[in-house]
Amino acid sequence: MRKLALSVFTMLILASLLLAACGPATTPTPEKIIQTVEVEKRVIETQIVEVTPTGQVAPTTYPRNETLYVSGAAWGPASTWNPFQPGMLANTTGTIGLVYEFLFFYDPLTDKFIPWLAEKGAWTDPTTYEVTLRKGLTWSDGRPLTAEDVKFTLELGKKYPALWFSPLWTNTGLTDVTLVDETTLKLTFKDPLYQEWENYLFNLPIVPKHLWENRSEEDITTGANENPVGSGAYLYLTHAEDRNVWVRNENWWGIPIFGKPAPKYIVDIRTSSNNVALGMVVKGELDLSNNFLPGIATLAEKGYVKTFYEKAPYMLSANTAVLFLNTTKKPLDDAKFRRALAFAIDVPSIVNVAYANLVKAASPSGLLPTMSKYDDQEVIARLGYTFDTAKAKQMLADAGYKDVNGDGFVEAPDGSKIELQVTCPNGWTDWMAAIDIIASSAQAAGINIKAAYPDYGAWNTALQGGTFDMTLNNWAQMSNTPWTLYNLLFRHPIQEQMQAGNFGRYVNQQMFDLVDALARIPTTDETGMKAATSKIQELMLTEMPVIPLWYNGLWAQWTETTWTNWPNEKNPVSLPTTWSGYWQMGGLQTLINLKPAVQP
Amino acid sequence: MKKRNEVLYFALRNKKLLIGSGIILIFLLLAWVGPAFAKYKPFDYANPLGAEPPSTEYWFGTTFFGQDVFSQFVNGLRATFIVGLLGGGLGTLVGMIIGFAAGYRGGILDEILNAFTNIVLVIPTLAVLLIIAAYLQVRSLLMECLFIGLTAWPWAARAIRAQTFSLRTRDFVDLARLSGMKPYKIVRREIAPNMMSYLVLVFILQFGGAILTAATLDFIGLGPTNAISLGLMMQYAVLWGALPLGMWWWFVPPGLAITAIVGALYSMNVGLDEIFNPKLREM
Amino acid sequence: MRRYLTRKILIYTLTFFLAVTIDWLIPRFMPGDPIRNMLARVSVASNASAIQMMYDYYARLFGLDLPLWQQYLNFWKALFQGNLGISTYLFPTPVIEVLKRAVPYDAFLLIPSILLAWYAGNNFGAIAARSKRLDNFILPLSYVLTATPYMWLGILLAWFFGIVLGLFPIAGAYSFSLRPTWSWTFVLDLLHHWFLPFASLFIIDFGGWAIGMRNMIIYELEAEYSRYLTALGAPQRLIRRYAFNNAILPQITGLALRLGVIVAGALVTEVVFSYPGIGYLLLAAIQNQDYFLIQGCFLFIILGVLIANFVIDLVYIVVDPRTRRGMVGESA
Repeated sequence: MRKLALSVFTMLILASLLLAACGPATTPTPEKIIQTVEVEKRVIETQIVEVTPTGQVAPTTYPRNETLYVSGAAWGPASTWNPFQPGMLANTTGTIGLVYEFLFFYDPLTDKFIPWLAEKGAWTDPTTYEVTLRKGLTWSDGRPLTAEDVKFTLELGKKYPALWFSPLWTNTGLTDVTLVDETTLKLTFKDPLYQEWENYLFNLPIVPKHLWENRSEEDITTGANENPVGSGAYLYLTHAEDRNVWVRNENWWGIPIFGKPAPKYIVDIRTSSNNVALGMVVKGELDLSNNFLPGIATLAEKGYVKTFYEKAPYMLSANTAVLFLNTTKKPLDDAKFRRALAFAIDVPSIVNVAYANLVKAASPSGLLPTMSKYDDQEVIARLGYTFDTAKAKQMLADAGYKDVNGDGFVEAPDGSKIELQVTCPNGWTDWMAAIDIIASSAQAAGINIKAAYPDYGAWNTALQGGTFDMTLNNWAQMSNTPWTLYNLLFRHPIQEQMQAGNFGRYVNQQMFDLVDALARIPTTDETGMKAATSKIQELMLTEMPVIPLWYNGLWAQWTETTWTNWPNEKNPVSLPTTWSGYWQMGGLQTLINLKPAVQP
Repeated sequence: MKKRNEVLYFALRNKKLLIGSGIILIFLLLAWVGPAFAKYKPFDYANPLGAEPPSTEYWFGTTFFGQDVFSQFVNGLRATFIVGLLGGGLGTLVGMIIGFAAGYRGGILDEILNAFTNIVLVIPTLAVLLIIAAYLQVRSLLMECLFIGLTAWPWAARAIRAQTFSLRTRDFVDLARLSGMKPYKIVRREIAPNMMSYLVLVFILQFGGAILTAATLDFIGLGPTNAISLGLMMQYAVLWGALPLGMWWWFVPPGLAITAIVGALYSMNVGLDEIFNPKLREM
Repeated sequence: MRRYLTRKILIYTLTFFLAVTIDWLIPRFMPGDPIRNMLARVSVASNASAIQMMYDYYARLFGLDLPLWQQYLNFWKALFQGNLGISTYLFPTPVIEVLKRAVPYDAFLLIPSILLAWYAGNNFGAIAARSKRLDNFILPLSYVLTATPYMWLGILLAWFFGIVLGLFPIAGAYSFSLRPTWSWTFVLDLLHHWFLPFASLFIIDFGGWAIGMRNMIIYELEAEYSRYLTALGAPQRLIRRYAFNNAILPQITGLALRLGVIVAGALVTEVVFSYPGIGYLLLAAIQNQDYFLIQGCFLFIILGVLIANFVIDLVYIVVDPRTRRGMVGESA
């Protein structure tokens, strides 16, 4: 027995040694903290670095009533704070929006641009855009933010084609940026794509010239940009494998204009699974969860959590789940067959069963509810589709698709067998359930479709290489323009690899011209936009190269134990979200509106 | 003849064997006839109300999507037995061949086989599966068996080699060698029978191991893409928040079944051991 | 002795070389394209030509635009400089950095659970082999324990102690309200999060070792030498001591193998408890098609297995005299 005790003791020593070994990697030394304080202009206050009489750093717990715990935004561990890295931003979602800001913010609920760094911006003539910045803008290191910084940022895209916004120069039509004075810029365009340009206004983060001008190309495009210096409402505090922590910028230029965001700390948690997030929300450990949590409807009904709508669909809609049909394959190259298919898909069951009413069926136009003013109701009434097995059968028969060999499934007019596969990545369980329903309801209409779930890599290869039959995709998020969606659906030209849209390789010059024409319509010309989208919808519903099915939700569920005054259907002032790319679409406004709950 | 009667006599009185084989039989029966009794297919969205605890209509309750847990369970059981039998059997066979050869021969053959064993042991099996997974759009259960069998044998080979190693220096083996017996015969006649119960243990460990490995692979999302299994049930349960939502009927049965089957196998093994080794009975 | 060692080292080097080559092949063998997957993760509001330019840029960065043999040579060169490439999932963090952050958690979780389980399991197994009454209790229990899938025990513990009773946290390495500092609050919190995953690993391993030991001892007790000693009238204690010493050998082999596959063994436990070790990382890497990170994790596993096996070979020479005869080969 003594031997056992001894080895337990040894084990404990071993454990403590290991603990010591992992110390330096995760534990900031006291010196470092103090240094950070100096660099970041004393913003980190004494509450964090509490100097005890012995001169040691006190243990830090973020005070609960000053901290907002959120989750559902970060996809992976924090690894970069470079606002120009596409995709990677998924892991430190506050980098753009909280730290780096934009010329404008955009409110999708009212479809209005909110002047942010810019005081105003307008087309002075068809090819000249003039921006005036606010006065008194500052970077978090205290230096002023001027038109120089904006010019510098825009010109980075011209210099380095590897930056995601370089098409601003090659595609959107920007040709020159001139400084008028300290706060005014004149942008000259050639054949400008107005719709696309306005999208940049609230998506291109402005970086400080004085810190970025001496960086190498590699550093700018791929550097991690630790300890980011931005102009926004929050500052980087710390991060770990499963969290990003931001602290309020008490010297933020926007406080007198927009108000002070309520939470002093934001702990953005990367929950490993629905499981964990769900447990934390129910226990009140998480204030706002932007994860897709199945079963949330039940919890909302019982009052455990709050959602934007009190009843189904509970969530706002964030993007459209579209069924891409590979138009290069038979019989999907036949518009009549594609239209019949649209009637055969049991969307109501997808909504009820796969999602338990957390989503809404999509408009046949594919446009989100926030864009519904661009739905041409007349076209949709005439050409739209609804789930109707009998009608789908009739349409197939009319188009010459008949069950010749008596196996219960139709054959092509030329007598060849039809066997199609509908896919989505393995493990995306809600989509897996959805394509099961697509397959079974199509079978009921006599179309032999089977569901398959390849791994993500294989799925992605098939998607971009155009080797799939039909597959789900939802890559167009909420936006200021219907062009964003139609650009995804009908992207052109068709290349060997279709990486960002038109995966079904639908070729129709008329459609391409219509989408290009839409891109060139000034955003002030709403009538023109409506006319253009109407034509697109007419052609799209006639040809049916893609089938919009349902809207994925802007998943959001929260509790009010610590923070109240969240936006909801009765108070629809902003979006309750922390997703990447949504801070500037109302996410930050939500933080500003929050109020501390009255503590009992 | 007398010996066989003796074995039967003790077998019928060995509680461990009886209990173990009883449990296995029950589950085997369930896997055999259960699917016929299931009212729904494993992936049918049977219950329009979604997740519900066990009831007379849904014996084991329903999943988040309203799928019948009982149907998934009995079909998953079937997959579990297939994986154990095929995967474990293949693993034992390969392990025996390599283990005996390396352990008895020793020397350079041992080194070569040992190196081979080491390589297979260190090749990350997950990586191989990953590559296979990426190539094939759909993974089948049979492929999982093959894969488990072909990667699980090093453990068996190692154990058999070590045992052979210590047996081959025993007197009776030396004697056999001196009498000019062929190595293959020595292994078959002298060494293998002397570690028979050890080999049974190895097979049972491989059988159980294959079941556990399959559950692991399924749980992390590398399982069959066109079938149901007990591991997949657990994966779905965790993925869909069965823990915080308290849907215990979703994740308890599959794990319990695996534990019971593998545990029963082990219990059978001890029972058999006691029957074959009279010494153990005397204790 | 020296010849034996030289040969062993040679074989281990060869094994290492082959295993690493296979490891290198992983990202190249995959039909998918790691960079395309990386760029596709979040849709980019830019046109095709920009994506192609970005693609070329990253391909250059990852060295994937070179001929294969050149890539292979570069891989070895980089390997010896401790450079395992850049993670695409955690771009632009070097793989080695990612691994460095995960390893301490692995060690903290696995070394205590494996060693304690081994020690306790062997002792209980030995005791069980000695007493019929204890055997009847410990043996069935151990069988049930070792038959339990890791994830199921993890799920049960998490559900019962974490959710039903609310005693332990069920995810992460430390609370979200804390910053890592050297304080009792933090250390206690760390241990609080560590306990459930530790317990689930310990319990299952314990069962396995106990059975192994119990069976081995019983075999040894019937071996010729034991009977001989009994016939000579040697004290039972002495015989049991010998039996224990012989029975421990396969257990040492087992321990080596267990330590070698340390990562794979804890993968599901780490997944259930979201514990940020290598296993958890590996799963994330697999799910995100981060082939360079997968490659790094596997290299780590390969090294672990090889080193553990090598150490065991050395230990065997010391503890088992029979091995020393065997290693000279058939001629002896």
